This record gives sequence, C-alpha cells and structure tokens, in this order.
Amino acid sequence: MRVPITALAALALTSAAAAAPIRVGDTLTPFTLKDASGKQVSLASIKASGGVVLIFMATRCPVSNAYNQRMAALTQDYAGKGVTVIGINSNRQEDAAEIVQHAKEHGLSFPILKDTGNVEADAFGAQVTPEAFVFDPSWKLRYHGRIDDNQRGDNIHSQDLRAAIDAVLAGQAVPVPETKAFGCTIKRVAP
Amino acid sequence: MTGLLLAAVLAGELDAAGVHRAVEARRGRPVLLSFWATWCEPCLEEFPVLVELARQHPEWSLLSVSIDDAEGRAAVESFVTKQRPPFPVFLKRPGADEAFIDGVDRDWSGVVPALIAFDRAGRRLALLAGEHTRGEIESALSRADP
Repeated sequence: MRVPITALAALALTSAAAAAPIRVGDTLTPFTLKDASGKQVSLASIKASGGVVLIFMATRCPVSNAYNQRMAALTQDYAGKGVTVIGINSNRQEDAAEIVQHAKEHGLSFPILKDTGNVEADAFGAQVTPEAFVFDPSWKLRYHGRIDDNQRGDNIHSQDLRAAIDAVLAGQAVPVPETKAFGCTIKRVAP
Repeated sequence: MTGLLLAAVLAGELDAAGVHRAVEARRGRPVLLSFWATWCEPCLEEFPVLVELARQHPEWSLLSVSIDDAEGRAAVESFVTKQRPPFPVFLKRPGADEAFIDGVDRDWSGVVPALIAFDRAGRRLALLAGEHTRGEIESALSRADP
C-alpha cells in the first residue's frame, strides 16, 4: 500500500491516518502502474525537472472530454520546460483498450495509467474527472483541483492549473493551491 | 417559447443562498436535496430512484437542482418532462461553480450526483457524494425522519 510520506509519519501515531488522502504540502511516494498499453510506468523513473502533473481523467465523461484539447495543449506547452503530464484513469468500466483508442482519437500523447481497483484515486482522494494534482520535482503536492474555471473553454477567467505549474517552475508559492469544480464522479469498484 | 417551457417544467434558478432558503422553507419535514446534471450518467440512473422514493414517502420533501449550464437547459427540460418528478427541479443560476459548491456545502467536492439530507430542524445529517444505492439513500433519510 502506498501512502504519502507525511501520512506514514502520522501512521506511527494513529492507524486512522493510513486512510487519509494526500494533501497539499504532502510528499508523494512515487508509485508504479501500468499504462494503457500494458507497460509498467514508474513515477520514480521520470526525470521531470519542472515537476509532474497528474490528471484523473475519463473516456466517457463529457466534462473530461471537454478538456481533451486543453490537456493536449498543456502537455505540448510545458514539455520544453521539463514538466511531465500523466493521465490516470480509475473508472471501473473504462478498460485499457478503450483508453488507448480514446487517446488516439483525441490526440492525447501523454501516458495514461490504468488505476485498476481505484487504488490511486483513493490514495489521492480524487473524486471527479478531470481533477489535477501538481507535484514539484521533489514530489511535494503543490496544487490540487480544476484545470480552469470553464468546462466549455469559451469563457475562461482563471487558468488555475497553468498558474500552479508556472509558480512551481518559478520557484514561487502557488497562488491558489486548492480549487473545486463540477465533474463526473470516478466510478469506483464496490468497496 | 423557452421561457414558457421553463416555467412549466422547472421551478426556476437558484444560487447557493437560494438553495439554503429553499431548504429552510421546508423546515418541519425531512429534506433531501439532490444535485445532478444531464451529462452525468450515474445522476440519470439515480433520478428515477428519487422519483420512486418521493412517491413512496410523501412525508419527505425532495428538492432537486441541476447544475447543467445554460447550454444544457433544453436537455434538463426534456429529461424532467419524461421523469415527471413529484418534487421541484431547479437549475443552478449561472455563476462561478466553485462559489456555488462552497456556498452550498464546504464539505462537497463538486462531484455529482450529490445528496444532502436534512432533518426536520434543518440540520444537515448526511452528505452522499457520488454514486449511492437506493438503500443508502433510504438509510440517510430514515435518520432524518426517525
């Protein structure tokens, strides 16, 4: 079982802490998951000098799909700055073959990991798709929340995810480290 | 024409303060507040369950709020027309999503479907965020109406 390092420390004090999802300021213990093509991807092996963006996403969620182009653009825009974007699909009804096909159809070139049994969704406390987490190069969680403030993309006032990445790249505090947005519920396996 | 349909099918638009006023106006009865969207598959599966529960338990007051944006209004009207719920269905008033989510309940992540159960005194008893079974919903309301 993987838990944030800070949660591990807390585990010594109380067993209840083991179930606590990662929070802004916590440090992630990098995990390994298979990507949609079946290849093992170890986060520890990623050399991302500018940090890592993890986005819980879906193939069938209209809200997540509304962000496909924006996720693809984000990946391109920040690749040259050392930022790695990784998708995670935790939905029980969306299998690897569907994820591969969906990525191909929508030009999503970043790796998308299949979170079987929603283990990582639980560890992250992720609830909706899309939902983003920004880690700095030392795997400290610096931002958690929405990509921006407009699902349809035609009236965006706040580029929250880009602002967070820019702050990490600049070595500054993230202006708004936690945000909320409507999204599709992550379809978990029965407990 | 759209206005006439809205008046006939939907109860109006609510911001977060309006949601609280609507719950307050139902004080004296257990209240189940439902948030959903037409783009949310589990919400569309849950809605008929709420319709059934409302018919079986007229002592409970149900209140439904669609978070669809303006472009989704026609889809909301169409769905509600087919479902014929015995409870009012509102639309979220256009405005910032995060302000609405936090204004309704700071513990709510924004996931839909979401249900909030209140007892007769208007105290929040349960927040059911995400998919829940009919049994879990009934259990939450039973606690509100012991």
